[in-house]
Amino acid sequence: MKHKLNILGALTAGIFATGLAVTATEVSAKDIVINMAGPDWGPTRFLQEKFNKTYKAKSGNNVKLVFDFIPWPNFYDRVAASLTSGEKKYQMVVSDSQWIGTFIEGGHFLKLNKYIDADPTLQAIMKDTHPAFVEAYATYPHKSKNYYGFPQFPDTKMTWFRKDLFCHAGEKAAFKAKFGGTLPCTYAEWKDTDWKTWASIGEFFRRNKGDKLGDGVAADDFYGIAYQAGKGLDFSSMQINAFIWQHGGSIWDEANEPKAQAVGVVNNAASVKGFQHYLDLLKWSPPVAKTGQMDIFVIQELIMQGKVAAIINWAGLAPPALDPKNSKHAKQIDFALTPGLRGKDGKISRWDNIGGQPFVLTTWNSDEVTMEALEIVKWWMSPEVQLDFAKNGGESGLMSVMARSDYNSIRPWNRAHVELLDWQKDVWHVPEFFEMLTQQQEEFDKAITGQKTAKQALDAIAKFQQDLLTEAGRIQ
Amino acid sequence: MNKPVTNVASASADLSRTPAASNNVTDNTITPAGGKSMRDFWQWMFSPERRGAMLVAPALIMLFLMNIFPLMWSFGLSFFHYKASSIRPPRFAGFYYYEKVLTDPVVWERLQTTAQIVALSVLLQMVIGFAMALMFEKKFPFRRELLMLVLTPMMLSFVAVGVFFKLFYEPTFGILSQGYAYFFGEPLTLLATKWGAIWAIVIADAWMWSPFVMLLVLAGLVSVPDYLYEAAAVDRASWWRRFKTVTFPYVRGLLLLALLFRTIETFKIFDVVYIITAGGPGTSTETIAVYVYKVAFQFFKTSQSSALSYILLFVVIVLTNLYLYFVNRRNEEI
Repeated sequence: MKHKLNILGALTAGIFATGLAVTATEVSAKDIVINMAGPDWGPTRFLQEKFNKTYKAKSGNNVKLVFDFIPWPNFYDRVAASLTSGEKKYQMVVSDSQWIGTFIEGGHFLKLNKYIDADPTLQAIMKDTHPAFVEAYATYPHKSKNYYGFPQFPDTKMTWFRKDLFCHAGEKAAFKAKFGGTLPCTYAEWKDTDWKTWASIGEFFRRNKGDKLGDGVAADDFYGIAYQAGKGLDFSSMQINAFIWQHGGSIWDEANEPKAQAVGVVNNAASVKGFQHYLDLLKWSPPVAKTGQMDIFVIQELIMQGKVAAIINWAGLAPPALDPKNSKHAKQIDFALTPGLRGKDGKISRWDNIGGQPFVLTTWNSDEVTMEALEIVKWWMSPEVQLDFAKNGGESGLMSVMARSDYNSIRPWNRAHVELLDWQKDVWHVPEFFEMLTQQQEEFDKAITGQKTAKQALDAIAKFQQDLLTEAGRIQ
Repeated sequence: MNKPVTNVASASADLSRTPAASNNVTDNTITPAGGKSMRDFWQWMFSPERRGAMLVAPALIMLFLMNIFPLMWSFGLSFFHYKASSIRPPRFAGFYYYEKVLTDPVVWERLQTTAQIVALSVLLQMVIGFAMALMFEKKFPFRRELLMLVLTPMMLSFVAVGVFFKLFYEPTFGILSQGYAYFFGEPLTLLATKWGAIWAIVIADAWMWSPFVMLLVLAGLVSVPDYLYEAAAVDRASWWRRFKTVTFPYVRGLLLLALLFRTIETFKIFDVVYIITAGGPGTSTETIAVYVYKVAFQFFKTSQSSALSYILLFVVIVLTNLYLYFVNRRNEEI
């Protein structure tokens, strides 16, 4: 009986102690809300959904992540307005890589070095993040050792093509007969595709309504190729920079300020040649190219609605193209490497402009909120979550995840994405970037719409940047 | 403690009879100096001599906070070096930004573009609005229904109209281009050239606002007394003579109002331009309002955009005064 009493006493004490512990945890658990600004699209929607379903804060706090989903066209304006107004609404922001200088110098984005130095998990994440993402998403000044962000969605451009056309025996034979080369169908064939073949594709697939196309006839006028040629945001620049870099041209090198110049660099002969090459290929694009409004959403729509055979666009926009609800050719669209410029040695240069977004923390958060935000970063950058993200249409920024044997087959664009990472560079990150970008976009647009030559446009860009950056003290 | 309440009740009763007497009662009995209760305070606040001020106070406070203060603040900023995106404190700049704006060729170029759009759009609105008013002045079947349809565009949001016309002009999918290609074999790329893009904006703006002009003119047309037309008919006056001597004098004032009002509004055109062309191709259709937005909210040149805004405000004030002058003159005529 005594023994039984002892057991009963122990049980009672245990229950009491557990109760006390639970009560203590409940008392110390705080409600923490982290508001995050992000563009309204798949990668951020997935983050919110995954967080809601699986995230448990290790601290025991009730951490809630509340996304402010902002449409892409207004994304910069809305975030900039919020940050500069001083409303301190967001604890985290999905920032475009180019913005970071503006908001770091504005005192809005938090430098993370001391947190990374104190946390082995964050150090491991930084070490495992692909260098292209670290450079573009995290460092300011560019390529320095000051870190501000982690990849939320790393993105690259690639070729989207209609395999029902490119792998069609009749079309392949006709292409060979006309141009003497191979109409690319397999990954290996696309890997050997340069801009010359891309131009031939453009010419080859230009069909009028009623012309034979693959197994059927063209229901409407049909075009061969399309890539970004839009005045808004950074659309044209993202594609033109690829041509400029591949031809050996340059943009103003912010990592080398104040010595780096704009005049004589931005408008040097190689840059002009690269830009002219880009302009020459536009003639094989749908007529919207002539208006300077052929942005990433327009070319996405063009291929989904069956108006064009191949485009170059971001992986981030690919999932809807494979969804029959959105795309008339969901089953026929496939992905491959982007074309490039073939050198004298026969090798293809594929320099391109990196896309994607880091997420950053803001400076006005309490230590407690900052630590919880960093816990979210660690959760997001964990291999399991990164893998799940990749399976659901995203891309991982971690080299260890991308090195998995099954990674390339998770989604049809993964192989090209991984292979293209070593070819990525970025535009400027300085606070003057938006003025530089806007003026550059306007000048590019003038050349695209035939108001200026490639040289005139690049001369105007170089002069503007030289004056602006000199006034800002970034060029001596 | 209850005494002031009792007094208030009697004061209210007095108020309905003799205001002067009741005022005396209120002054003597309901004062915050007593500070006895919140109720006393509210009664003091809304005593008859303060009631008017108290009722308009919320509106005045809102007006001050939302309009007057930001106006004064931005006016002040136009005399300082200041960027909203920077943590640097403002530094005094005097008239530097006014001088910079007035000598900036880009500003004059944007003003020129704005003037071209205003001239074409307002002219089109006046012609179409006047023609529609002449049509709707007469009675015909389904007039009311048609009138409602015609008025719909000006009730739509600018963004909706912008998106609608952007899709309309789209050269690959757009209905305009499809129709053009049907007849001419080539798609129509209206937005590829400066004047094509300007006309695209003008058409969208005129589509939206011609009904407004029509409404004003129609109001003038229906106010013309029938006996004047009857007299003109007796005199065997021609259609043109009737229009010139009878109809037009009645609508002239309203037409002028429509002209000024639409000029002021079109001068500030932003939404439709921003959505249809974003100022392109190049900068061919970048109006001054789009430019101000760009300088203020994309480049964060707060001082410069403030100075430019005040110069534009001055232009609008001049136009508004003209508008008010004609409104007053018409009131006097009536």
